[in-house]
Amino acid sequence: MTMISLGDMAQSMMLRRQNATLKSAMQAAANALTTGKVADVGRAVRGDFSPLAGLDASLARLSGYRAATTEAGLLAGVMQTALGTIATLSGELASSLLTASSSAQTAQVDAVGTDARQRLDTALSALNTRFADSAVFSGVAADRAPLPDADSLLTAAEAATASAQSAADIEAAVTTWFADPAGFAATYLGGPSRSDLPIGPGETATLDITATDPALRSTLAGLVMGALLDRGALSGQPEARSDLARRAGAGLMQAASDRTLLQARLGLTEARIDQAATRNAAETSALEIARLGLVEADPYEAAARLEAAETQLQSLYTITARLSRLSLVDYI
Amino acid sequence: MSITTALGSALSGLTAASRAAEVVASNVANAQTPGYGRREISLQARTVGGAGQGVSVLAVNRRVDQVLINDRRSAEAGAGNRDVRAGFLRLVEQAIGTPETEGSLGARIAALDTALIEAASRPESEARLSAVADAGRALTGALAQATDQIQTARATADRSIATEVEALNTALAQVADLNNTIRTYGGSGRDTASLMDKRQQIIDSISEIVPLREVSRDNGQIALYAAGGAVLLEGKAAVLSFTPAGVMVPQMTVQGGGLSQLQINGRPVDTSADGGLIAGGSLAALFAVRDDLSVAAQSRMDAVARDLVGRFADTTVDASLAADDAGLFTDAGQAFDPATELGLAGRLTLNARVDPAQGGALWRLRDGIGAAAPGPVGQSSLLTALGTALGASRPVASGGFMAGNRSFATLAADMLSGAAAQRLTSDSEASFAQARLTALSEMELQGGVDSDQELQTLLVVEQSYAANAKVIQSIDEMIKTLLGM
Repeated sequence: MTMISLGDMAQSMMLRRQNATLKSAMQAAANALTTGKVADVGRAVRGDFSPLAGLDASLARLSGYRAATTEAGLLAGVMQTALGTIATLSGELASSLLTASSSAQTAQVDAVGTDARQRLDTALSALNTRFADSAVFSGVAADRAPLPDADSLLTAAEAATASAQSAADIEAAVTTWFADPAGFAATYLGGPSRSDLPIGPGETATLDITATDPALRSTLAGLVMGALLDRGALSGQPEARSDLARRAGAGLMQAASDRTLLQARLGLTEARIDQAATRNAAETSALEIARLGLVEADPYEAAARLEAAETQLQSLYTITARLSRLSLVDYI
Repeated sequence: MSITTALGSALSGLTAASRAAEVVASNVANAQTPGYGRREISLQARTVGGAGQGVSVLAVNRRVDQVLINDRRSAEAGAGNRDVRAGFLRLVEQAIGTPETEGSLGARIAALDTALIEAASRPESEARLSAVADAGRALTGALAQATDQIQTARATADRSIATEVEALNTALAQVADLNNTIRTYGGSGRDTASLMDKRQQIIDSISEIVPLREVSRDNGQIALYAAGGAVLLEGKAAVLSFTPAGVMVPQMTVQGGGLSQLQINGRPVDTSADGGLIAGGSLAALFAVRDDLSVAAQSRMDAVARDLVGRFADTTVDASLAADDAGLFTDAGQAFDPATELGLAGRLTLNARVDPAQGGALWRLRDGIGAAAPGPVGQSSLLTALGTALGASRPVASGGFMAGNRSFATLAADMLSGAAAQRLTSDSEASFAQARLTALSEMELQGGVDSDQELQTLLVVEQSYAANAKVIQSIDEMIKTLLGM
């Protein structure tokens, strides 16, 4: 005899299965809600990780560029400060040299000579500036100060001008010495210019100024000529010394435009670095937003799913309790 | 003699009711027993010499739906198969790691990229160069770890095959034994239903391993065939043999040696292409994991490692290298040789010349791996070139990737995408197989013991017992009346 019947185990299995399904749905929704991330990233990107990995790679590069732009900006700033110091002291010295040269008093030329000697010290220490323990004007040989101290420089310059008899001779000798690869260039301890610094995707900043830059060399030549007055050049020839002071002042004046151009060039690089930093920051935010769109769970949707699963689970508990009470055993 | 006949009929009714109650009791007691086939009593009017003489119990039948059971078993095997595959593919995906996970391959590539940019910004900084070396070492670590995980999964699959083969052998021997016992008991007219329950339970316990087709033979015997065609039990149980490998390295294969093949009764079975004779169950899936899936995953991983090695072993990137020198990454310290690509991902190491941990010097990252002496400390061109080489688009030499130029990060992402897409497909197949199994199991259970129905039967049995007893009482009174006259 065939009877219509429903095995007890079928019911209990169905209830258990429903319970497990609902609980796992609740867990997934709760997880999405609390972490804010989709549980299965692979499913969220439909198995194609290229866009996500591309975004992550760009974000990682940008975080590298953030450090790079900060450092490049600081380096450029330190260079700019040093150049500013040299420009100020050279400009002031140029006018004192010219004033002294037109004065009849030899003491004034002596005084301005001493001043030039001190200012040469300051200029050299500005060029030997270190930032994060690397010398900024040494090019790639950042572990060494680019220039020796003023005494060594002046001793070398004196040797080069030893045979000079007049202010014009000294000026010619100093100019030659600064241009000669075996002269000033031999006292330069730094290396070739730095390579371009990466500051953004496909973007570099050029910070190639070293202590041998022509603008700096001509300024140093003026300062050295002034300082030679302090070392007793052409002593006993007041007119020649006045002439030397005048020539030194004129040289510094002439170099002023080169210095300004150098500062302007550096200023442009600083601006480029700043712009790159801003652009990188903007790109980072944009990429992060795009990334969120790919892998972030929608909290509203997750909350709604959680709510729905909760209601269903409650109904299931009620049904389980009712069904388990419904047995013929209880009625006979 | 009709009163005596009536008494006999009533007595047979009492016996039938008792047997029916016994069957109900057995059913109710086994309401939760898996593999228990509901018993039903079948009655027949007893005739003695052409005249009705009460009732006789013809048999106690075990009611099972064999078609449904076969379907359910095949669904179980299908689910087992898909679960093993999905489990392995999930493992591959996790071994590579999704990009946002710390320690994933993608995150480590990004870290190396960042470290190179930061080092190019301050090449004189030891900390920055050391960060590059660390990131490089971590990247080789990620690839080695992923290789290790894949090979461990392979070794686990190999051991699981041995365990499953053992389980199959034991179960088949038990089923053959029970077949014999059932034939003997059945021949002598004893109840074999509980032996059949036992036999069904044993077969169910191995149905996940290989999809089984149960075929009835005479005298309650059964034969077992694998859906793929292997004869597992026909009178005699087949003997399967398999020897697990002790250790597992990428170079070990069935063809290349080192790995055992499945044998049935001493004959090797081809388990490639979805399992052949034993296709469809978890055993076939384990062979697929060991011989196909893990090999494919490893070869893609090796192709990624090879690409990484090739990016840096380039004289246009690092001019200090000679043509055959190893670049930033080496094959266990040596330059890479295309002939030994297999397992490269597991052997990848940072070049010892730049790695202080291996006696090298960090400045070679800045001045060139082949450089004899440190150059100027501010030199950043090589570091920039290394970063560019990592991000450069170039063709992939091996691994069966789609043709086209990729940056290294994209190549790694493509490998991950491949694994994820396979896993998603296999996940959905697994959940489909699971749903089918659930549906069939529920259908099978619906045919199981229904306690309400049993109690109803019990009520009827009670009534019938009371009625038969009443008949006997009445006959007793009738006989008493006769005797009292």
